[in-house]
Amino acid sequence: MGVLITPAMIGQVVISGLLAGSIYALVALGLGLIFGVMRVLNVAHGPLMMLGAYTTFWLFQWFGVNPYLSMLLSMPLLFLIGVVLQRVLVSRVVDAPELSSLLLTFGISIALVNLAQLAFTSDLRSVEFLTGSFVVGPFALSKPRLAACAFAVAITGASFVFLRSTRLGKAIRAVSQSREVAQVCGIDVQRIHLLAFGLGSALAAAGGSLVAVMVAIQPEMGQVYTFKSFLVIVLGGAGNYPGALLGGLLLGLVEQLSSLFLTTQVNEAVAYVLLVLVLLIRPTGLLKGRV
Amino acid sequence: MKRPVVFAALLLVAAVALAAYPLGATGYGVRVMLQLFMWVALAQSWNLISGLTGYVSFGHVAFFGTGAYVSSLLIVKTAWPWPLACLGGGLAGALLAVIMGWPCLRLRGPYFAIAMLGLNEVLRVIASYYEGLTGGGNGLSLPTLDASVAIYYAMGLVAAGVTAVTYLIVTSRFGLRLMTIREDEIAAEAMGIDTFRYKLYAFILSGIGPGIVGGLSARDQGYIEPISVFPLIMTITMIVMALFGGKGTIWGPVLGAAVLFAFQEAVWARFTYLHQLLFGAIIVAVVLLMPRGILGVLQQKYNLPRTI
Repeated sequence: MGVLITPAMIGQVVISGLLAGSIYALVALGLGLIFGVMRVLNVAHGPLMMLGAYTTFWLFQWFGVNPYLSMLLSMPLLFLIGVVLQRVLVSRVVDAPELSSLLLTFGISIALVNLAQLAFTSDLRSVEFLTGSFVVGPFALSKPRLAACAFAVAITGASFVFLRSTRLGKAIRAVSQSREVAQVCGIDVQRIHLLAFGLGSALAAAGGSLVAVMVAIQPEMGQVYTFKSFLVIVLGGAGNYPGALLGGLLLGLVEQLSSLFLTTQVNEAVAYVLLVLVLLIRPTGLLKGRV
Repeated sequence: MKRPVVFAALLLVAAVALAAYPLGATGYGVRVMLQLFMWVALAQSWNLISGLTGYVSFGHVAFFGTGAYVSSLLIVKTAWPWPLACLGGGLAGALLAVIMGWPCLRLRGPYFAIAMLGLNEVLRVIASYYEGLTGGGNGLSLPTLDASVAIYYAMGLVAAGVTAVTYLIVTSRFGLRLMTIREDEIAAEAMGIDTFRYKLYAFILSGIGPGIVGGLSARDQGYIEPISVFPLIMTITMIVMALFGGKGTIWGPVLGAAVLFAFQEAVWARFTYLHQLLFGAIIVAVVLLMPRGILGVLQQKYNLPRTI
């Protein structure tokens, strides 16, 4: 290729990959939660994330709220929106063939993007908060990415503890393993569905708030995260929650590594090629999920 | 026997009227109608695989885009006459269906849908990357040619052709097998149906129409670029048209395409800034209120056959 690739470059790329991957994992965990519990692929996941990013932006713009603190508002807000969406629309297609839920959430998705365009215009917005990077030896660590990674890991970790150890978390896992048996055990399945969609949306919002500091905010910013989240849960194994973490980190690494060899344009396709390949070779995901 | 005769007579009248239409119409009118034919062909093609077998192709525009690029390249680089080049686009669609269907049709449920979605994105990036061949993001311009009327007839033929193929399939053992796969694939296998083979046949047939139509549309527009021929929204539009009319039926996609297209021309054009919001609302309404489509409702009410 003519370009010399030094070990330092690879180290840098691995770091960037893990930093980016932690956000993918966080957002995809939300999608995976919804998919695992209801078998609904939420195409509107990215736009929900976009709403989280805008919440952070406006709080910062109007009141100067610290973007990381704004998660305390963006997450509950999106939790509520998620619950309402589930209650009013998504709950009606949970048992329908996948075409219904795909189309329904796509409809929600374009409606949300259009609403955001009307309300916030399509102007690119940014939150000027943390800038610059730490330099450690030969590596540069961008401050907002580092902070985002720390928060993403903390929130993902907290979600795992919640799913593993609390009664509600266990109920969620029970419903995703077998709805009928969970119901027989006295779990209110409808309530768990509401909770799952709410939590999934809140995790998307957290991701949105975190990337708000790093990238330009605009109504269509979310779509690409929808597709990447699809890939992450396919990689990790659908319905396998720790798999989302592994899948997210792996996607971040692969994207960054391939950026050493490929142009930006082609790099966009790496995620999709990976998606199609994983589906063909190991549709159960790397950690075993359910097909 | 009376009803089919009346129906056939009506069809004949409609065909003659549509064939005579360009004689008295404006250039604009012809181009509007040719787009309607395009949507009929696309919705009907999607119906062939997804309506009949239940496998949701969430990236069906991939065939359209591939057809558009292959035909345009044949016209630009090898100077083939456009009708032949568009047939080449159809062949490319069929080929793509084999390449993608061979592995992907083994995936079930949402995984097939995701794989098709991914495929479409990959193709779009490929089209933007190979600049030397496709012109990349700058697009590809075709030599100027005024052939709207000829393209009108060609589009009409494709729309009629795909509908005729659907009719032949639905009324045959092949169609019965496809619908058995849709209702219960495991049971279909247990009855000795080679499900994979029939799914692949249906998939190939559903790739030809969009391939040809993609070529015709490229010839009509005179210019293509990756984002204009591989948009996800186009896949969704054909799905919603088929669903609105009645998926898995012969006339549903035709009806759905006609109604939604007319609605689009009459209403949407005036609210461009609300376009997506309205379309989103229509999708949600169709999915929740009439998942079986107009024909599904009529069938239940008047006890008609399910595949009409």
